[in-house]
Amino acid sequence: MDHSGAPSDGSVVRAVLAGDVEQFAVLVRRYRDRYARYAAHMLGSIDAAEDAVQDAMVRAYTHLGQCREPDNFAGWFFLILRNRCFAERRRTRWESGLEGVDEVPAPEQTESELERSEVVKALQGALLRLTAEQREVFVLKHVEGLSYEEIAARLSTSVAALKMRMHRAYDRLRELLEAP
Amino acid sequence: MKREWNPLVKQVLDGERGIESLPPDLRLEAEDARRLLLDAIERQAVSLSDSVDARVMARVRRRAATPWSRAWHWLSAPTVPRWVVMVPIAAAAVLLMLMRTSTPPATVEQRTALTGQRDSVYVRFELYAPRASRVTVAGTFNRWDPTATPLVRLGSDGMWTVTLALPSGQHQYGFIVDGRNWVTDPAAPAVDDGFGRRNSVVSVNPINGRIL
Amino acid sequence: MKRLSVCLVVLGGLAHGLAAQGDVRARLVGRVSPEVVQLVSTLADSARRLGLPDAPLVDKALEGAAKGAAPDRIAAAVQTVFGQLNVAATAIRSTGTSAGAQEIEAGAFALGAGLTSDDVAAIARTADGTHPTMAVLQVGGALAAMGVPRGQTVGLVQSAVRSGLPLGDLTNLPAQVQAAAAGGVPPAAAAAGLERAAEARAAPNPHANSKAKTNPHRP
Repeated sequence: MDHSGAPSDGSVVRAVLAGDVEQFAVLVRRYRDRYARYAAHMLGSIDAAEDAVQDAMVRAYTHLGQCREPDNFAGWFFLILRNRCFAERRRTRWESGLEGVDEVPAPEQTESELERSEVVKALQGALLRLTAEQREVFVLKHVEGLSYEEIAARLSTSVAALKMRMHRAYDRLRELLEAP
Repeated sequence: MKREWNPLVKQVLDGERGIESLPPDLRLEAEDARRLLLDAIERQAVSLSDSVDARVMARVRRRAATPWSRAWHWLSAPTVPRWVVMVPIAAAAVLLMLMRTSTPPATVEQRTALTGQRDSVYVRFELYAPRASRVTVAGTFNRWDPTATPLVRLGSDGMWTVTLALPSGQHQYGFIVDGRNWVTDPAAPAVDDGFGRRNSVVSVNPINGRIL
Repeated sequence: MKRLSVCLVVLGGLAHGLAAQGDVRARLVGRVSPEVVQLVSTLADSARRLGLPDAPLVDKALEGAAKGAAPDRIAAAVQTVFGQLNVAATAIRSTGTSAGAQEIEAGAFALGAGLTSDDVAAIARTADGTHPTMAVLQVGGALAAMGVPRGQTVGLVQSAVRSGLPLGDLTNLPAQVQAAAAGGVPPAAAAAGLERAAEARAAPNPHANSKAKTNPHRP
């Protein structure tokens, strides 16, 4: 149990496995947004991220008995979501940046806001043209702010391999973004 | 022509050295790289729409309602060495599951013969709360967790609803509006809750469905 | 072989008891104060020894926590639930019926809805092969929760069972009363009407009327 008074992931998982289906909603609420940004950057849109998170959550429920460390449901769920992102064949082009369907479009933007928005869009488009592995290490390090060590632990790989991947990603992004 | 950043510049991008540690002729390249790649990153948190929870739980409940998925969960649950606990229970559970999966639950008589099981019945909860921005339901079926079971707003006329699969028996519950106000269900009977308030009651059985 | 399975059952019961203790604490720690955790654990131990379910005790504590009740208020409410479970179990067992968790919970709910232990015993006594104890108690509790007076609640359940009303119709009685109430008929009147209908159905049975006359709960 943590000190906020909320039940631990482990106790919720055990409750669900014991038959209390409704408890799964606790985990859904807890983690539905945690990796949403990661999924959105991996897939190119919030809508695609939403589909991926939903599918991953349902899959997590279906295979909950295989979660080896119930107190680390978050890490296990991340891997399920990751697989789902990697399997995603749909490549959505960046249309208006990371906006959800319901968001109201911003009113007139200033010159510098427009410029920034262009730069952001360009990078996001270029990211989508990397390989999924390259995109992922870039997103985890530079969007999610994880260290190489943390990423290595999460993906069960080595820091050296990640750096190699990342450095190739930097070069590829340069190719895609710099005017020829 | 393939242009690659200098390895030292990549170390700056990785955050492992500062620009000032670079030889002067590389600093411009490092600044270009930072501007092109790091400054252009959109780090804004992403929030998914409110209906994600409801949609996930609807699919989860459909899966939970099939006998096979109950068997699957039980079989694939981690086997802590509590076999001593599991053996007498397991025998009964396996028998029950064999009965469930092999006998078609067609007639009322057959279903009542399988008494002692907690068949689930879908129950729809509704609350009219046009000024609410958030409504959840908490009760004995979800361990009184005020955040676990949100209702979804239907259209614009102020009706909030959620459908849950409840095991047969009597359940007490209440709605929580805007995370603060406990409200009884005007469409259901109520009993004293022991805390100076009242709990709404819903009673279900596999024969009639909801009876209260 | 039998001895082995008896051993396993006993061991299983012991291990289950220990596991159950752990479960009670696990469900409560962090959600209620340590004093309440201790109280509920103690009551849960007593409950198990008396053959009572402990889940309603934990549920009541969780409910109190969710509603922001003070620890002593939660303690009082949990003790009330314990009392109801105990009284319900005693009432059911006094009729010679075995009382499992679901029967006891149904009886406890009926007590919470306003019935007395005598009412619970009287309803439990009506149970027979086609009308299980849990079902008749749930119906009784539901009717009481809807405002049907005690005497009529018991009378209606007794008449319905005696008239041979199918189980599905019996468990539908509360919904019928509720539907009538929605139409403006007070629960007491609706219940009275249903009881008369049940008696009329039972009339051909030569023993039915005499039983009905000796029903101490009839108004």
